[in-house]
Amino acid sequence: MATVTFKGATRIYPKSDRPAVDRLDLEVRDGELLVLVGPSGCGKTTTLRMLAGLEHVDEGAILIDGKDIVNLPPRDRDIAMVFQNYALYPHMNVAENMGFALRMAGVPKSEIAERVRAAAKILDIVDFLERKPRQLSGGQRQRVAMGRAIVREPRVFLMDEPLSNLDAKLRVATRAEIAGLQRELGVTTLYVTHDQVEAMTMGDRVAVMKDGLLQQCHTPRALYADPVNAFVAGFIGSPAMNLLQGTVEAGGVRFASTVIPVAGGVPKAVGEAVTVGLRPESLSLAPAGDGIPVIVTIVEELGAEAFVHAQLANETADAVKANIIARVEPLAAPDKGDLIHLHVKEGSMLFFDAQSGDRIASRS
Amino acid sequence: MAIPRRYFFRLVVLAILLVFTAFFFVPIVWLFLAPTKTDGQLLTHSPFAFGSFGTVAHTFHKIVTYNGHSLLIWLKNSAIYSFGGTALAILAAIPAGYGLALTQFIGRRALLAITLVVMIMPATALVLPLFLEMDKIGLYGTIWALILPFGFFPFGVYLAYIYFSSTIPKDLLAAARIDGAGEWRVFRYIALPLARPIVALVGFFALVASWNNFFLPFVMTYDNSKYPLQIGLQQLIGSTASFNPANYSAGSSVVVLHRPDLAMAVIIAIAPVLIVFLFAQRALVSGMLAGATKE
Repeated sequence: MATVTFKGATRIYPKSDRPAVDRLDLEVRDGELLVLVGPSGCGKTTTLRMLAGLEHVDEGAILIDGKDIVNLPPRDRDIAMVFQNYALYPHMNVAENMGFALRMAGVPKSEIAERVRAAAKILDIVDFLERKPRQLSGGQRQRVAMGRAIVREPRVFLMDEPLSNLDAKLRVATRAEIAGLQRELGVTTLYVTHDQVEAMTMGDRVAVMKDGLLQQCHTPRALYADPVNAFVAGFIGSPAMNLLQGTVEAGGVRFASTVIPVAGGVPKAVGEAVTVGLRPESLSLAPAGDGIPVIVTIVEELGAEAFVHAQLANETADAVKANIIARVEPLAAPDKGDLIHLHVKEGSMLFFDAQSGDRIASRS
Repeated sequence: MAIPRRYFFRLVVLAILLVFTAFFFVPIVWLFLAPTKTDGQLLTHSPFAFGSFGTVAHTFHKIVTYNGHSLLIWLKNSAIYSFGGTALAILAAIPAGYGLALTQFIGRRALLAITLVVMIMPATALVLPLFLEMDKIGLYGTIWALILPFGFFPFGVYLAYIYFSSTIPKDLLAAARIDGAGEWRVFRYIALPLARPIVALVGFFALVASWNNFFLPFVMTYDNSKYPLQIGLQQLIGSTASFNPANYSAGSSVVVLHRPDLAMAVIIAIAPVLIVFLFAQRALVSGMLAGATKE
């Protein structure tokens, strides 16, 4: 049981002028599964490696249970890590791989065997204990890597994209398994992924990073409903939120010749540029003449729902050719090329500063 | 009937290859056939003729017992110098290559550059300073005057460096560090067991280099009982009648060596390295790293 606290933690790689991780302030609560998510190069893996002790911390502190561990070597941090490529020791069999940390800690052989067996039982890999990693499938190797982590009963688990080498079906199954196992063991976990679906489904809380900076850290639901800026709004959710560039008018927002009325008014002066955020599920089909006229470009039918990709009708300028995605009932899905009208659910519009991308006031 | 153009071209290539193959193989075949014949047969018979097994046994016995079993003494000396030097070379080169490839320290790049420079320097260039050094510290004439210089093997350091930097995933070492291993144990339990192929390779090259070295032992040894095989072979050439007829007039009581005896001595001299090669080759071909990380 442990808490992990990043206090202004910064990592600047040699020969780089921009920090890979920039003054990160973040707390992972006791027993929590916190997911770090962001596009590649955002600093999430560097953050994880800083906590592991594999990466130097140039400024700031990292605390485990209130104690600064920045100057401790990895072996003294009492953490376990699951690597993206598993990093299993190829010359040891599964049991030896799982028991290596205990052997390094000087645990008696009989106790190692017992604990390895118990962990193997949990992960259903008892039959493979004598095998070498090269004799295992990708999914089995992934389990062994997990087993190597849990057998130690560490204070903190670190997971660096542990599912990215699995095929799609196995990934979904393992995702739920890891989340379940983490809750059962109650070990504080920092989990890194670039896949926002993984982040949303697994995390107690999700921290979104971009360019080395923490954008927002909150529960999946809060991130989805209340993103602090256009980046988080666009990154979380699938399909992504529609982000449209427009100009404020009295009672609405203008996109070239189309005006979308905003009931509650826009929190910006008339004539100013604004970015409007609309979730696909906030848009619905409306009778002709009511709502925004759009031309359908693609229809994705997924069975339970359908996504309509469309462009504002009567608009040709590049600035307003932005793709709009709306979720509709599959039975009511229009066809490609149709002119349809979209109704915006009241109170579902988000406004962002057109320059900085920061969220402006509340929804409308 | 004219030969089609494409066949003609192939035949030319084949002919060239056969000529070169013959050119390089004939001396080796001759060497292995020489001890089967007497000195006279060597001149009168075809170069590829096989003499008799009786002659082989006779030649073998003669060369091994020659001059109070000198050949066996040289063989033993060669083994001590070479295996001692090889052990030292492995002990130094493997950790050095590991350090250069997978750890960070001040002066790493400079050390790597120096390793390369020393590697391309001819070994002979160092013989005189080494002689003066060994003499100064009182090791001249001891086995250490050969074992210590043989243990200096920058090529092995470079081979180990290449191996460690290209085949051991860094995450593997990171995993061991997180698992509680300190730097020594990361090397001992993870890197070293995975380095078996390179230990074999470095060992083999170090062995061949020291086994075949002539000039260093030529300078560092001064007595028949200290000579390694390479110096001994040179002594044998001096004792062979056809190469040095003035010393061996007919009727002398000294055992006279002939060319087949010399050929037998050469075969005995290269045999240990050949045998070691067969074992090293097996160790080199091992897919130790399969399954370490998913590609």
